Amino acid sequence: MPYSSLFKDHLAHPRNAGELPDANAIADEKNPVCGDRLRLSLIIKDDRIESVRYLAYGCPPTLVCGSVLTELISGKLVEEAKALTRADLVNAIGGLPSRKHHAAALAIETLHSALANLA
Amino acid sequence: MSGRRVYLDHSATTPVDPRVANAMARAVVETFGNASSVHGFGQQARAAIDRARREVAALIGAKQNEIVFTSGGTEANNLAIRGLCEAAAGRHIITSAIEHPSVSGVCVELEKRGWEVTRLPVYANGVVRIDDVAQALRPDTVLITVMLANNEIGTIQPISRIGSLVRETRATGQKLWLHTDAVQAAGRLSLNVDELGCDLLTMSAHKLYAPKGIGALYVRRGVRLHGQNVGGHQERERRAGTENVPGIIAFGEAAKLAREELVQRSQHDHALRDRFENLVQEQISDVVMNGDREQRLDHLSNISFRFIEGEGLLINLDLEGVAVSTGSACSSGTLEPSPVIRALGVDDELARGSLRFSFGKDNTEADVDYAVAVLARAVERLRMLSPLTV
Repeated sequence: MPYSSLFKDHLAHPRNAGELPDANAIADEKNPVCGDRLRLSLIIKDDRIESVRYLAYGCPPTLVCGSVLTELISGKLVEEAKALTRADLVNAIGGLPSRKHHAAALAIETLHSALANLA
Repeated sequence: MSGRRVYLDHSATTPVDPRVANAMARAVVETFGNASSVHGFGQQARAAIDRARREVAALIGAKQNEIVFTSGGTEANNLAIRGLCEAAAGRHIITSAIEHPSVSGVCVELEKRGWEVTRLPVYANGVVRIDDVAQALRPDTVLITVMLANNEIGTIQPISRIGSLVRETRATGQKLWLHTDAVQAAGRLSLNVDELGCDLLTMSAHKLYAPKGIGALYVRRGVRLHGQNVGGHQERERRAGTENVPGIIAFGEAAKLAREELVQRSQHDHALRDRFENLVQEQISDVVMNGDREQRLDHLSNISFRFIEGEGLLINLDLEGVAVSTGSACSSGTLEPSPVIRALGVDDELARGSLRFSFGKDNTEADVDYAVAVLARAVERLRMLSPLTV
């Protein structure tokens, strides 16, 4: 398993794990094929992501993509977050084997759902 | 990370015993002759192979000339199943749903060539039922291949009862043989091929503290096999190729030690395994122990941890130096839960959350305690992250 030290660090020390009771943007997405799940809760104020938490179930790339994503979007404008792509996330992790790119796809999809669900 | 390393993956492979390594190292330098050569160097190698063959045979109560050395368990399984089916007149094989890929894969290949395969279920306890075997028998069945002990959950299959059934069937005139993959069992259980009633039995040296690259197939006298490696007279025409003399010598030494230390090793492994399972049940909630509680190998524990996925847990353990295995894999967005755990009838979540812990002769109680402490922390961390627990 050629996982990078950054990858392992996020796996052992997930950033922003949990849920936000006061979230105004929430999404819970599931990969229907493999069953991986990701839940994002965001507090957005004045078009800016003030706070973010995530929960994840699945293979290590799914857990790590969730953690890295929260760092990427924290403090960002909604428009900036919407522009994030799967490739941006994969780059931020330092690369993922192509067979594991679905984990990044799930994370980006969950982010877009959460932003679309902004209350 | 503490820097401590604890190896709990002895079903994948075992560390080489220094006594075995020494015997092998001497052989590499001193016993370099080709065993087919008629001169003294060759005969020295031949004699060393013969001694090793006696030790490997003694491990399973076989005769020396019934042992065929191979490159490992996979080759031995291929030789047994393909070799027998190619030499036999028939078209039906009976196997189990939880075989190692080196057996199940060969069965799939034979299906492509027109053979029919019945795969016996194992039910919730992971054990084949003898009634199912009897029911699956057909007049054109030529081979039953069922593993002696499973590599993921350690359950021991009723091979001696299947062996009796095979003998009874053979007494009616049907040509029927029994193969058992004993890769996980050899060196861990006291085995006797006559008591088992098997005609073919597979062993692998690296599961009993010898190096990789060497295994053996027991072939009962009179059983005809079509050789898979041709182009040489070695191994009584059953496996052509210059013998791996150092590997064979290592296997012989490892088999001798396994036979001499079998009781002590299994008591040791059993005690560690029980200590481990008791601590896990005390310290971690929502766990499911997979496979029969009694009819199983002493050194192995397979546990599903609810709400989390095995590979993430495995890597968390590895980060703290604890090495274990999972049979499940997620690849290209496709879930591939362990076929063995799925065969127990459990749901995908439990199958994905299963880990195998397999203990060995050099593990200590302190290893177990450390592993459980690391495991409890990792499970808690991953469950805090899991949306399934919310």
